[in-house]
Amino acid sequence: MSRNLKILFGIIVTITVLLFLYSIASLLKILIVAALFAYLLDPLANALESRGMKRSTATGILFAGIIGILAGFILLILPVLSREIQAIQEIMITGQAERMVQEFEQLLSQKLNSLGFQEVNIYEKLQLALASVGNQIFNLLLNAVSLITNLVIIPFIMFFLIKDGREIKKRIISLVPNRYFEFSLNLIYKMDLQLGNYLRGQFLDAMTIGILSIVALWMLDVNYFVLIGAFAGLANLIPYVGPIAGAIPAIVVSIMQVGSFEQVPWIVLAFAIIQLIDNVLVQPLVVAKTVNLHPLIVLLVVIIGGNFFGILGMLLAVPATGVLKVIVQETYLNYRKYRFG
Amino acid sequence: MKSLWQNIFKSKEKSEENILTILRRIPIFQDLSEREVRAIERILHRRHYQEGEVIFRQGDAGVGMYIIEKGVVSIVYEPTDQILAELKEGEFFGELALLDESPRSATAVAASECKMLGFFQPDLFGLIERNPRLGVKIVLKLAQIIGERLKSANEEFQQMKQQLLELQKKLEAEKK
Repeated sequence: MSRNLKILFGIIVTITVLLFLYSIASLLKILIVAALFAYLLDPLANALESRGMKRSTATGILFAGIIGILAGFILLILPVLSREIQAIQEIMITGQAERMVQEFEQLLSQKLNSLGFQEVNIYEKLQLALASVGNQIFNLLLNAVSLITNLVIIPFIMFFLIKDGREIKKRIISLVPNRYFEFSLNLIYKMDLQLGNYLRGQFLDAMTIGILSIVALWMLDVNYFVLIGAFAGLANLIPYVGPIAGAIPAIVVSIMQVGSFEQVPWIVLAFAIIQLIDNVLVQPLVVAKTVNLHPLIVLLVVIIGGNFFGILGMLLAVPATGVLKVIVQETYLNYRKYRFG
Repeated sequence: MKSLWQNIFKSKEKSEENILTILRRIPIFQDLSEREVRAIERILHRRHYQEGEVIFRQGDAGVGMYIIEKGVVSIVYEPTDQILAELKEGEFFGELALLDESPRSATAVAASECKMLGFFQPDLFGLIERNPRLGVKIVLKLAQIIGERLKSANEEFQQMKQQLLELQKKLEAEKK
């Protein structure tokens, strides 16, 4: 086959594969989510296996544990969360929110008049923002059937990925031609090490910050502490901007709730302490230092993520870039160690 | 139909038995129990090579060792293309790469159509994590093998040094 023909063949195959992947996009999403969770939980199954259990028993016990935690979450957190969402909906419907925001604006203009604060019409902007969030939630509820299907399918796939993941990986590697076999094996191992550390680190970090924020806001008696705390945990994935973005909703809600700036210093102090704990204790222990991203790149990808996929895109832009960086970096480093002549 | 299935399963079982027999002959796996050898067999990679196909190249990063299930493999030193060894069924090579990633010291080429079993570093590390007892047994055996090789290399080195000294003395005596 001539070189040009080979290139043409390669292009046709690539396009066909991409079209196929595009047509099964929703299935692919489910697979990616299941694979991600399976990947995060794999070390736990390994730890159980190292105590002499069979892989299938270890996976079963792990799943029983997860179901227990989920049940606990549904019983304890979900009622609080739904009450918070209901409360927000009520104040939006009754026009209470408009009054509260107007009072908030008045308060701001009174206190900050000397700094040149002028009316910015927060309510209008808030309504626009909420309309977009509301649409997203509405779409999600509209897809309730697919949501339930996903909730069944994802754990099902996860179970088999954890139980048979090693064998699946071995089968996939066995398809690689001899010439690239050692290179691929090494590459997958290196990527696995780095990605595993990075993703598990990010996940644990976000979870710790989320829980700490929820506890702190609950102690400070701030309304909607579960929602705001969970958001703060997720926002923490974005370096530099994240911690501030996480604290802002707490401050705004507190001002609207109390009607003064009284609680603000305490909230700021609480978030500062959480950041300190994060930087001194959590991050050095759980977050891999090998995936350092330049601040400028972080800023750019967060903007790009926001442009394409909204708030979710902004939150996931940094970990996704981390994953991409590891893949490119390891492929390049590994490629240099092999000759494919 | 029944006999067809029987044949398929029989040939699979036979091949597995053959692999287990080969594995038990490898020094690294010699002291392992039946169950442990089966655990090793599960993580091995089966590869097929055509005659003349390169298994790994000298200078490339090493990932692990190969055990020959069937066929002959030539170990070639580049750039002189000198054949250092010809290995056949049941023999193994590249075991040093289980411990470090240093470049391969020679090229391995399939001298005939080969069936190989690959035991690689990532799988060894995974095994150590999941089954530390078995992992330690293998690493200890590897250390013993390398220690023995170091001892014999030292002895060889001493002998050569002695021979050199004797030669030097002879030369000096001849000069005088």
